[in-house]
This record gives sequence, structure tokens and C-alpha cells, in this order.
Amino acid sequence: MKKLGLVLLVLVLAAGCALGVSACGGSEGKEGGTLTGTYASFPAYLDPSLSYEVEGWTAMYDTYLPLLTLAHENGAEGSKVVPALAESLPKITNGGKTYTLTLRKGLKYSDGTPVKASDFKSSIERVFALGSAGSSFYESIVGAQRFAETKQGDIPGIKTDDKTGRIEIELTAPRGTFTNELAMLYAAVLPSDTPIENMTANPPPATGPYMISKVEPGRSWSYARNPYWAKDNSQIGEVPSGHVDKIEIRVVRNDSTQVNEIERGKADWMQTPISADEYNKVKDKYEGTQFRVERPINIYLFWMNTEKAPFDDLRVRQAVNYAIDPAALERIYAGSLAADHQILPEGMPGHKPFDLYPHDMAKAKQLIKEANPSDRNITVWTDNESPNNEAGAYYEGVLKELGFDAKLKEVNADNYFPIIGNESTPDLDIGWLSFFADYPHPNDFFQLLFAGESIAPTNNTNLSRIDDPKINAKIARLDKEPLGPQQEAEYADLDREIMEQAPVAPYGTNTVSTFVSSAIDLDKVVFNPTFGQDLTSFQFK
Amino acid sequence: MALDPNAKAAASGPASGPWRVAWRRLRRNRVALGFLGLLVLIVAFCLAAPLWAAHVARTGPNETHTLEKIQAGGEEREVVNREGKPIGPQWLEAGGRFFLGADGRLGRDEMVRLMYGGRTSLLIGFAAAAITTLLGAILGLLAGYYGGWSDTLISRAMDVVWAFPVALLAIALGLALAVGGLNIGPLHLSSGSIWITILVIGVVYVPYMARPIRGEALALREKEFVEAAEAQGASSPRVMFGELLPNLASTIIVFFALSVANAMLLEALLSFLGVGVQPPNGSWGTMLNGGLDLLTSAPMLTYLPGAMILLTVLAVNVFADGLRDALDPKSKARIEAHSGFTAAEVTEGIAP
Repeated sequence: MKKLGLVLLVLVLAAGCALGVSACGGSEGKEGGTLTGTYASFPAYLDPSLSYEVEGWTAMYDTYLPLLTLAHENGAEGSKVVPALAESLPKITNGGKTYTLTLRKGLKYSDGTPVKASDFKSSIERVFALGSAGSSFYESIVGAQRFAETKQGDIPGIKTDDKTGRIEIELTAPRGTFTNELAMLYAAVLPSDTPIENMTANPPPATGPYMISKVEPGRSWSYARNPYWAKDNSQIGEVPSGHVDKIEIRVVRNDSTQVNEIERGKADWMQTPISADEYNKVKDKYEGTQFRVERPINIYLFWMNTEKAPFDDLRVRQAVNYAIDPAALERIYAGSLAADHQILPEGMPGHKPFDLYPHDMAKAKQLIKEANPSDRNITVWTDNESPNNEAGAYYEGVLKELGFDAKLKEVNADNYFPIIGNESTPDLDIGWLSFFADYPHPNDFFQLLFAGESIAPTNNTNLSRIDDPKINAKIARLDKEPLGPQQEAEYADLDREIMEQAPVAPYGTNTVSTFVSSAIDLDKVVFNPTFGQDLTSFQFK
Repeated sequence: MALDPNAKAAASGPASGPWRVAWRRLRRNRVALGFLGLLVLIVAFCLAAPLWAAHVARTGPNETHTLEKIQAGGEEREVVNREGKPIGPQWLEAGGRFFLGADGRLGRDEMVRLMYGGRTSLLIGFAAAAITTLLGAILGLLAGYYGGWSDTLISRAMDVVWAFPVALLAIALGLALAVGGLNIGPLHLSSGSIWITILVIGVVYVPYMARPIRGEALALREKEFVEAAEAQGASSPRVMFGELLPNLASTIIVFFALSVANAMLLEALLSFLGVGVQPPNGSWGTMLNGGLDLLTSAPMLTYLPGAMILLTVLAVNVFADGLRDALDPKSKARIEAHSGFTAAEVTEGIAP
């Protein structure tokens, strides 16, 4: 009996040890290590005040923190605004014109200097001083426009108190998207003495869990842990601390080479979307283990110039919407396109699925017959990047089938938007466009693409030149209101109302992919719909 | 073939003209003639495009078939599957349709595109070479004959153009004209016109023709027959085009042939980079560009237009080389080494 008891005790102890070992090791993943990643091109900027593209945002999401940020979560959860350097979300008063925040206490930059409330003010002024593309998001701050024009003095609409950490921002008018705009990388807080110049080659000190430790412009850059994160900044619970100790990113121009490196374990992650040529091969082989499809917030569409014949006729625009076959475009995008026939895509607050124009070529032809447009010469614009140019060629074919004399015009991708956004460019009839969200707020799409006041002689974003007073009024009203369930429902209605006017023919959202080496735990990798892959989420198995 | 020992003695009658001599030389160069035959074959292949498109493929070069299914090999096949992979070569399984498969996610017939693309590439090659030859010959003649400030002006202008790498200059011009087209006086070309590509290529190669022509014209100007013509009161244009030009004809012909090859290569480069032939017009260069997206899954889409460019340029170059040997009197040493007859015997027509 005594012997049996001893045996049982040993067995229980052994089982306990086994459980303990598995809890410490296997399923929790490994802490530490060096993550190697690849990009197809060096980001235009590694300076948060200047970076306007996803490549740069992904690179700096975990390095430079604004007062607010987007939750480090997948999918719709990743669209929520959460506090970062600020203690909490802003207190909005004065009819939506005053935003009050408090800086957390004891924060430090990666060089050890304390983060001050006045650093936020100087960071926003730096955005204007640099002439950054991001300055348009902060023009509603009192005094900002004058500062942008003169570059003299300061922005009186931002008041700070370094002792208490209080930050008060005064707007000229209520702005429902301002909370999102405070979460953009442009609003990242940098030391007041950060030079007013592009700091890509020598990035400023960081506030996030990682700092950029070395840059070889055009070739590579590296991250190390921010030495002041653990002790001082990790109080920011909404931003994870990261698992790996170092991250090394190299520029590898050929995406096939990047795929090959991941397959061989020479790289752990590629930021570049996999080309259409290899997409399905990689997906079939690695989906679920090393490959995952992600859905950033974007919309791909064809715009139609509503001021010019034949697209000044609603029936013609509706016919085009009916004529587009999502099955064809699915093939053109090699399976990476998720078909969508509305403006707000999945993942955007306010998205409520509907389809006013299911594919029906017979109906499309009937509408054209009823409209009988006299002007049938159409120029179809697209950029020269595959598969967008193929989408344009498909669209040209569809228009020909509808009885138009359509001619495709391909423009170099670097010049495409300046050219189609310039009203002096002749024959701006119809063309391709992709639009990625600056932040997860419906107004980002509606204001730029459909508000009458967005029509501009150059850099025009309202390419369909729609100027409907009812739509304009609704956009303007909703812009002033903070986003809540009621506003989301109204944005869903607005989506439908605009599609009833059919100034554009949306055809889908393009997906991207997360592809990692076998050493990385794919399930742990977080893809934020705005910022891309979250570097703090990468963990070795 | 054995030489008739009595043939030399039996030779009588007038000496053969230079063109006849050249033809004899060329006839003996079987390699050059072989590649001429290849070039003729390629041209015939491209010229047959409308026939193949209408009667065999039953589709045009720009018609898309993304969602179409065809009957081939007793089964129904998607021209482009859901993953965007185009159908491969069907050869004759679908009655000749999609003989070489589809060209990409738009599902256009690759064979039809190859044939029509060749027409565009050959047209651009020959037309651009003609422009280069015309402008180069005129400018070279003017510079070489007149000399003085005319020579200085023309030569310096050529130097400026020559200073730019040909490809970079062509790319820059192509980009500049890509959106707005060309509008100079009565000349209006829309931005998608292939004549823009032809003009750009034709112009950038002018110095490469003008300078050698100028050099030869400079040398010929000092010859007695030119002096004689001037002494007889012949006008300058009469001397240039009546006396000098015939003597430069062989040089010009050879340079023209070589220019065709250069022009085709440059067109392929410009179209590959997106600043040459504009869609929906296709050329072998645009097909190379399009094939790159599917290099892993459908490499033939790149290999086929690449092979056509290679074979055509090779054929033109080898034939041009043979033509130069035939037309160039200084090459007699080579003729004697290759044929076993003396150059004079070839000239006299004694050697077959």
C-alpha cells in the first residue's frame, strides 16, 4: 500500500512537470530572436511626419506613437482608436471643436529624454513646416492654415502644459474624423528639437517598443528594442511589447526572390504582396501554415465623369455597373480580389453589404438603348501596372460590347494620379482607381471621392465630378459628428444613395497576404487593416 | 565546283557592272542567303496574321476571352481559370484556336497576338530605319559636301544627340510624348500612335548614319569625278545627289539593313518599358512586358516573343553582314579566302 502510494505520487509529480514544461515551452512560442524581413522597395520615408504610404506606416507603426493609435488587432477590431501616449481618448467639448487629452506621465524617448506635452505641438508644426502630405488632415486646427502659409510663429490652436501633460486642441469647426486623424502616423510625437528636414537616413528617437537602430538608405534598416520601453513606456497597455529582440529588413526587389527566401528560411516575412504569378501556388501550398489572406480597407473602382457625355446620363452609368462581371475581374486579379459592388468595403465602419447592380449584360444593353447616347467615343484611363492595366483592358472590352468606341490609355503609374487629377487633361471620360483608407472612417472615402468641394483643378480626388447638394450636405453633416452606431447606419445609407447615382462602378477590394517562414507562428501575426503587419506580433515558434 | 582551266581564256565580252558583281558575291554567301530566307519566312508569318485570325483562330488580336470556355481534346476547358492562369498551347486540339495558348489573364489568343505583334515590330523596324537613313543620308551629304559652317553646325548637332545614350534618349522622348502626343506644325500624332515610336527611334539613330556618310562624302568630294562635274557647271544638289549619292549607295543600303535590326531592338526595349507601343496595340516588346507577370506559371508567354525578336534581329544582322561583304570592294581578300577564286575571277563571272 505504501509502495502504491509512492508510485502514485511519482506519477502525479511527473505529470505535473510535463504540464509545466509544455506551459513554458511549445504553445507559448519563443521570446527573443532576430526577425528578418524583406521589402520590394525602400519606403519613400522613414520619417513619421512625411510617410504617406503603407510601406512606411507598417515600418513605423510600432516605433513612433501618436497620442492615439489603432488597436493592435486583426480585422474590424483593428479599426478601433485606442490611447497610446495619451492616458485616454480625447474629451470632446465645445460642440465638437475642442479636444482635450493628457499625456501619460514618465514617458521617455529611446534616447532617454522625457516626452513632453509641448512635443506634440512641435510635431504637428513640423508636419506643416515640412509641407507634408499629412498637413491637410490638421488644417482645421485654429491657426494651422496661417502657419502653413507663413511658416512663422506657431499654431495657436494647440495649447500644452508640460507640467500637467495637458494638451488642448481647438478646431475651427467640428470634425468627426479628428480622433482618427490623431491616430495617424503624421501625429506621432517627436522631440521638439527634431530637425525640420527629412530624417529617413537618421530617424528620430522612438517612443514605441522598437526603435530604428540603423538605416542604409535604399538597402536596409534595422530595429532594436527601445531601452526605455520596458521600464517607462510599457504602461501603454494597448501597444504590445513585442516578442523578438531585433528586426532586420532588407530590400529585395524581385518578389519571386522574396518568396524563395521565405521558403528556404533565409527570410522570415515579406511585406510585399505576392505577385499574381505565384499567388495561387504559394496559397495552395502554405495556406493555414505560413500563408494567410488579409483584407486591408480599400476599394477598386472605375470612375465616370458625370459632367461629360455620355456619363452625364444616369442610365449609361447604371448600364456600366450592370455590365461589369465580377467573375472576369476575379480572374484578372488571379483570385486576390474580393468582389464588391459598393463604396464602403468590408472592415470599414458603416459597411453594410448590398448590390444594386448584379451582373446583367442584357439589362445593361437595354439601358444603353434607352439612353441612346450620341457621344460614343470614350477614353478609358488606367495605369500601366498589372493587373490594373488588364482590368482597364477588360473594361474597354465591356464598353465596346455596350456599343461604345472605347480606347484604352495606359499611363505610367508614377504619373497616373497627377494626370487624371488635372482637369486640363483632355478626354477624362472614365478610368480605373484604387483607394486605400488613410484611416478607418467612412468620411475618408466619401469626402475625397464624392464631395462637391473636393473637385479641384489639380490633384482632384472627386474624379467622377459628382456635385449633388443632398449628398454634399449629408457628408458635411456626418463629418462633424463623432462616429457611433447611428452615424455608421447613416454612412451605410449614404453608400446606397451614392450608388443609386452610380458615379462610379466599384468592383472589389484587393486582398494582400501574410507569408512567413516556417519558424514564425502565423496564428500570432496581427494584420491591422490600416497599418499592415504588426511587428510586435511576430514570434518564433 | 571545279574550275574550267579554259574558262579564263574563253572569257570575253564586257566587264560586269558593280551591282551584278555584288549579286554574285552575295549568291555565294549561303549563310547570308539562308538568313534572308528566314527573314522572309518571318515576314510572311506576320503578314499572314489576318488570314489566321479570321479563318483559324476566329478572333482578333485584342479580343478578350476571360470567361470563355472552349472545346479541346474532347473536353471543355476554361481559357482563363479562376486563379487567373491562362490556357496553355492547344496546338490543333481546338481547331487551331489558342494554338499557342492564351496570352494572360485577358485570354487573348497568343498566336494571333504574336503574328500581329510581329507586323507592328517589323513595321516600326523598317519605317524607323527608313527615317534614319533618309535624314542621316541627307545630313551626312550636306555636311560632307559643303563642309565649313554647314559641317560644323550639323556635326555639332549630331554630337549633342550622340552624347545621350540612345536608349535613355528614346525613353525620355517616349515619356514626353506618351500623354499629349506630338503636335508640330501640320504634324499631329495622338499619344497612342505607333508613328510616335517610329519617329522617336528614327531620330535617335540619325547620328549613327549621318557621321559615316559624312566621312565618306568628305573623301569622295576630293575625287576627280566631282571636280569634273563641278567644272562642267553642275549645281551643288546635282553633284550631291547625282554624283556622290550613287557612290554612297552601297554604304547606305548596308546601314539601312543594320538600322532595321537596331530599331527593332530599341522598339522592344521601349515597349517593354511601357514607353513604346501603347495598348491595345501589341508588339513583341509589349508581349515581353506582359509575359513577365506570368514568368513562373506560363514562361512561354515570355519565351515566344523573345525568340521572335532574337531570330528576326539575327536574320537581319547576318544578312546585312553578307550584304556588306558583297557590296564592299575592300572585302575581296575575304572572298578569295572563302571561295578559292580570285576576286577578279568572281568579278569576271568566271567563277560560278
